[in-house]
Amino acid sequence: MHLHKYEKIWLIFGVGSLVLFLLVLGVSAFAFGHQPPSHMGKVDSQNLAQDPVFSNPGVTQINETTYQATIIAQAFGYEPSVVEVPEGSTVIFQVTSKDVVHSFTIPETNVNFMVTPGHVNMATHTFNEPGEYLVLCNEYCGTMHHMMQMRIEVTPK
Amino acid sequence: MSKSILSKKQSNLSTQEENSSLKGTFIFVMSIGSFILITWFIVFFIFVGRI
Repeated sequence: MHLHKYEKIWLIFGVGSLVLFLLVLGVSAFAFGHQPPSHMGKVDSQNLAQDPVFSNPGVTQINETTYQATIIAQAFGYEPSVVEVPEGSTVIFQVTSKDVVHSFTIPETNVNFMVTPGHVNMATHTFNEPGEYLVLCNEYCGTMHHMMQMRIEVTPK
Repeated sequence: MSKSILSKKQSNLSTQEENSSLKGTFIFVMSIGSFILITWFIVFFIFVGRI
């Protein structure tokens, strides 16, 4: 098969890029443990009040610097609407939806995931800067979607 | 003898035409490829910086 010299160059470039992307993906997944925000957790979205985890949404301390925030998203807000943690703490968010698809987005951080009814979606973030962090829904969920928000208050040590 | 010279000339000519006709394509393919790579790495380093 005859291949033009230029064709060979751009094929090598294209295949090389693909290999590079797959390497970055593989290293971040297997060496650094990055994974999609769904941890395959399931929950009965119709009976969250009876659920052992989601019947009591809020923040629980796991160890000195780690907290678990259990949050329910619903049209058009989050429960609880304010979460308070000290500066430097790592927060594991586990979020589910009572009704439709929402999202849990903290602008200017890597926390940005869909919240789907029936599933438990998770993300972890370390808050090194004290201040007030806004949480937004970025999946259109209804007429008051633009008002859907909550706050994370990171208090100085 | 003369026939082989003629065919050699013709093949040289056709190779030259191929080269010149793919130059623009080559520049475009490489610039789009570089654009995709550069923007991918910009986004990747924003992600890594926020961990």
